[in-house]
Amino acid sequence: MSLQTAHSPARRATEQLMQVRGLTMSYGSGAAENKILQDLDLDVRAGEFVSIVGPSGVGKTTLLRCLSGLLAPKAGTISVGGQQITGPHPDLAVVFQDYSRSLLPWMSTRENVAFPLQGKGMGKAERNALADRNLAAVGLAGQGDKYPWEMSGGMQQRVAIARALAYNAKVLLMDEPFASVDAQTRFDLEDLVIDLHTNLGVTVILVTHDIDEALYLADKVVVIAEKPATVVDVIETNFGEVRDQVETKADPRFAEARARILHRLRDH
Amino acid sequence: MAETAVSTRPDNARRRTRTVRTGTSPAARLLERSWLIAVVFILWWVLSARSTNFFVPSLQEILAVLARDLSSGVIPDGAAYSLTNLAAGLLLAVAVGIVLGLILGEANRLRQVVDPVIHFFRSVPQAALVPLIIGAFGMGQGPKIYTIAFACMWPVLLNTIDGVLGVEPTVRRFAKVYRIPPGLYFRRVVLPAALPQIVAGVRVALPIGITVMVVSELFAATRGLGFYILNSSATFQVPETWAGALFVGVIGYILSVAFVLCERRILRWYIKSGAK
Repeated sequence: MSLQTAHSPARRATEQLMQVRGLTMSYGSGAAENKILQDLDLDVRAGEFVSIVGPSGVGKTTLLRCLSGLLAPKAGTISVGGQQITGPHPDLAVVFQDYSRSLLPWMSTRENVAFPLQGKGMGKAERNALADRNLAAVGLAGQGDKYPWEMSGGMQQRVAIARALAYNAKVLLMDEPFASVDAQTRFDLEDLVIDLHTNLGVTVILVTHDIDEALYLADKVVVIAEKPATVVDVIETNFGEVRDQVETKADPRFAEARARILHRLRDH
Repeated sequence: MAETAVSTRPDNARRRTRTVRTGTSPAARLLERSWLIAVVFILWWVLSARSTNFFVPSLQEILAVLARDLSSGVIPDGAAYSLTNLAAGLLLAVAVGIVLGLILGEANRLRQVVDPVIHFFRSVPQAALVPLIIGAFGMGQGPKIYTIAFACMWPVLLNTIDGVLGVEPTVRRFAKVYRIPPGLYFRRVVLPAALPQIVAGVRVALPIGITVMVVSELFAATRGLGFYILNSSATFQVPETWAGALFVGVIGYILSVAFVLCERRILRWYIKSGAK
């Protein structure tokens, strides 16, 4: 699989790719101001898989929207590859939680994946070929002519992942991407994302409320809590490159990390 | 602004196609749909057969006159003129309504400014404006087309705005994050997303257009179906008046059937995904 040679695994986890400093976000102003994020720092190295875990309602989606340039933070800076971002950026692609709404039902899956490339000015033959390659990479080879509504939820989310991959961004931002699929599909998609990360070397920031998912997927788990939310712990996992739904989760180090996160969240 | 929607919802289309697909042979379905029309015509024929009322001639007489004027070319010539005006007026209304609707749907500030004006003009009875428009712009074909366009634009415009406002926030976020350029965004995202509502607006506009088409020829016209109806009525050729009205009704029915067929093609994805 050689989709994006730009992120070769050899360069993995060395250079700093994304940097967040003092990120503060609030809605409203004055007395009605609702502070969501307070002074949040985050460092992501190239090729790293970072999970951001926190309880429901803590502000994870707000954080991801700031990171993706959809929301302008009240204070603080976000930079990618040393360049400060002020809005949506070609180095950032997002996989939304709500796959059934983020895919366009009037386009086939191939068109859905190719559409952002059309926005980049890529020719039709080239973008369709790229779409087909990326659909194949997520296990949907030959399914380009189908429409999203002809597919199961898990397959639709695969299309959304293919669309993000085809966009060829440096960082893949995922907002609770597996929250609305059944458990088995969820495991399959988690393993798919691990494979894509390992094989393509793409940098992933994934937001979730599921501690097991955060640990299972990531090289680094960032725990956010409190109100307004801030980083309360950062855990480097060391379960190795190859993960297994049964064995990794039975690893004593997994249980230890899990307990540590639970304690952190309980203390706050 | 959501409350400005014309009440026709596109789910009507969905429901209709769904019932059509259930079982039964085509012949049985045709029979089920057409028996009432047949009953109405038979009753009309029977009840009007011995009519002595000057203003209510027998259906037999009406149909005889209709056949005569169809074969003599009087009605086909009028129909060609009127339907040209209708087609041009509707096209203009759809084009202007969609473009304005897309812009107003996306531009929140502008919409709030323009909203009261839209509702003012929408509430003005369109047929009442016909003499004024023709008085102001003259007797030719142009003013008739503009009158039809003006009347038909409102449902298209309002439904387009409503359709744009109904675009999923996630879809908007997707377009922003993936930096879809504005032209592509309108053409490939907003327009298709609003299309079910737009089509429903055009469906409302169609009978309005037919009415205004006729009314526009009641003033200062020398050709057309409306002229045929008015002229016969003014000269007490009552069967001709009935024949003209009947013919317009039939055209209206044919157009609405044609419209539903077009709708099924245009909204294929919508009907299929909704029916799932």
